[in-house]
Amino acid sequence: MVLMLGLTGLSAIALTLYLAAEAFSIAHLRRDRQSYATATTVLLLLGFLVHFAALEIGGRAIHSVPYRDLPSSMSLFAWMIAASYGILLVRHREGSTGPFLIPIAIFFLVVSLVTHPGAVVISDPKRSGSLFAMHVTLAIFGYAALTLAFVLAQLYLIQNQQLRRRKLGPLFSKLPALDVLSQLQRTSVIIGVSALTTATVLGLIWARQNWGTYWDPKVFFTFLIIGLYLVTLFPGRAGGGKKNAILSIAGFILLLFSYSIVNLFISQEHTFQ
Amino acid sequence: MSHPAESPLVMVGWDFHQTPVELRERLAFSPEMVREALSLMRKEGLLSEGVIISTCNRSEIYGVTGAAIAGADPLEAVTEFVANYHGIPRTEVNGSGYRFSGTDAARHLLRVTSGMESLALGEHQIIGQVREAFRLASSAGATRSVLHRLFQKALETGKRVRSETGLSSKPISIPGVAMELSEKIYENLAPRKFLILGAGETSSIFFDLLLARGATHIEVTNRTFTRADELCRRGGKAVPWEELDSRLAHADIVVSATSSTTPVISYEAAKAAVAQRRGQPLFFLDLGIPRNVDPHIADLNNAFLYAVDDLQEIAERNRQEREKELGPALEILEEELEEFLTWFGSLAVVPTVASLRQKFESIREADFDRHLEKMTHIAEADREKIRLMAQAMVKSLLRRPTEAIKDEPDPGRRLDRAEAARHLFDLDVKPKE
Repeated sequence: MVLMLGLTGLSAIALTLYLAAEAFSIAHLRRDRQSYATATTVLLLLGFLVHFAALEIGGRAIHSVPYRDLPSSMSLFAWMIAASYGILLVRHREGSTGPFLIPIAIFFLVVSLVTHPGAVVISDPKRSGSLFAMHVTLAIFGYAALTLAFVLAQLYLIQNQQLRRRKLGPLFSKLPALDVLSQLQRTSVIIGVSALTTATVLGLIWARQNWGTYWDPKVFFTFLIIGLYLVTLFPGRAGGGKKNAILSIAGFILLLFSYSIVNLFISQEHTFQ
Repeated sequence: MSHPAESPLVMVGWDFHQTPVELRERLAFSPEMVREALSLMRKEGLLSEGVIISTCNRSEIYGVTGAAIAGADPLEAVTEFVANYHGIPRTEVNGSGYRFSGTDAARHLLRVTSGMESLALGEHQIIGQVREAFRLASSAGATRSVLHRLFQKALETGKRVRSETGLSSKPISIPGVAMELSEKIYENLAPRKFLILGAGETSSIFFDLLLARGATHIEVTNRTFTRADELCRRGGKAVPWEELDSRLAHADIVVSATSSTTPVISYEAAKAAVAQRRGQPLFFLDLGIPRNVDPHIADLNNAFLYAVDDLQEIAERNRQEREKELGPALEILEEELEEFLTWFGSLAVVPTVASLRQKFESIREADFDRHLEKMTHIAEADREKIRLMAQAMVKSLLRRPTEAIKDEPDPGRRLDRAEAARHLFDLDVKPKE
């Protein structure tokens, strides 16, 4: 009980820090002050560290990465989103997408906090080991990066539409250029697809060792998702364009289907406890 | 604080609002003239400090009055100097300018530096021009504490207004809007490929803008090849007009400014070019009147087309948005002005002498009297005598510095002495951060 309160407390602190980072991120969008950008990065990093502490303590209690139940998995997902955004920030030094990306981490952390059943889910001995942990962790990381790609694709379409229609709304000057959005999206997809592919390979190895078979409906959907995203990464499509953005959005819808419907109703093995 | 008639801070100026361009041209100062005029005004005792801002839109003289001005109207004297210096009759100069002193002079400089007095509201070239004017005056030895502080404050205000409000953020000229749009398709224009159609004045303006942004891949095509070739002497490459369609696919941004009466870029040519570019956006800037680019090209995926009318409409909307930002910009200006005035006000003779006296008295009370109270072996009557001696000593110590400040006839030198006293004895009024 004390452990649960501690975990919830740490998650709530992380949430507060993410919210503060979002507030500064919006302020930076409104007024281009370096101090706001620095505050966003520092608060996000602090939130990320506190969130990690919560996940780490939770993980130690169940002797596993905390993904057994849906709320824990969502909290891990939120943390991975913050991690992916951090990578984008370091790689591209582009902070103006923050106000649109940080809320996703906030959303999943809130859902995780609200729906937490209040009990520590003990690890299922049939699903353990480092290979299995790597499989699930990398899969969630891949999902997080592809979620960012989804938001960036939408921002690309918004900016593209404003430019085409010659209706330059208030977001026009705040959003990055089309080529930057396209590059950010491409980096997210590369991270997401790499993580998801590695996760799938590890999962298949684990399945072969434990089930004696590779087959699960989830595998089919995952390969479909990877295939769809790979199209956007083909050489010669680096310029992005509207089609890549639309493909990214389609990929994400398929990913949501795989994460929810497939896990809950179709797959026998990819269920939550 | 400073009453206009009494303040040693003055300014006289002529700008595009009131003064026709012919007179402005005659009132302009070259850097050599600035040095000479400042030196003369200081030598004649007209000003003890001075800065001259001279741009194509304004000539303004800021100064702290000198010793020779005592009893006379400093604004009148500086105006007369400028008229004589340029050899312009007083009657011509008198009716067309503006003159401020004290708070109003300081406020005017802050307004100018923030772009509020510019022809294009919020334009930011002026901040560089003010900085240069100050640098020029400083290198000529014409600035001291007051103008140094005032110009630093003005530059800070200009910077804050620019970064914290939208007064300068959105472009209000057609080339400015065109560049902003280009930079929303390709963030960094330097490595991009440009194709300019036409070799007239508009093409030349854009050519220079692109060079200024570091562009190195610029192709120019024109019906008369030699004219394109001429434009490319500053950089870039002239290509024959016949190759226009085939060069389209290689360009990221096409600027068309020909005098052709029919479109020179057809829908079919653009469609073929866009197809070859595999999703890389192609941006058409049609600056021709009538239009040079088939308007249907705007329907192509990954093609963007803006004509002069579109750019004009955006420029006008941006101008209206800048006007809305005047309120927040003025708030910053007044805040910064207040800080300057607090400091400037503290330099006046009466507050400086009062703070100096207060400082010495507080030291006497805190250190001397406190210790004296503890010396109980001295009789009370004697302690009182010692106390009176200490008070007399403080008065003697203060007499000379006080006179040096109060009796100095040159207002600029008086302010310098007040500033020195404030600095030496730590009397500064701390402005709020």
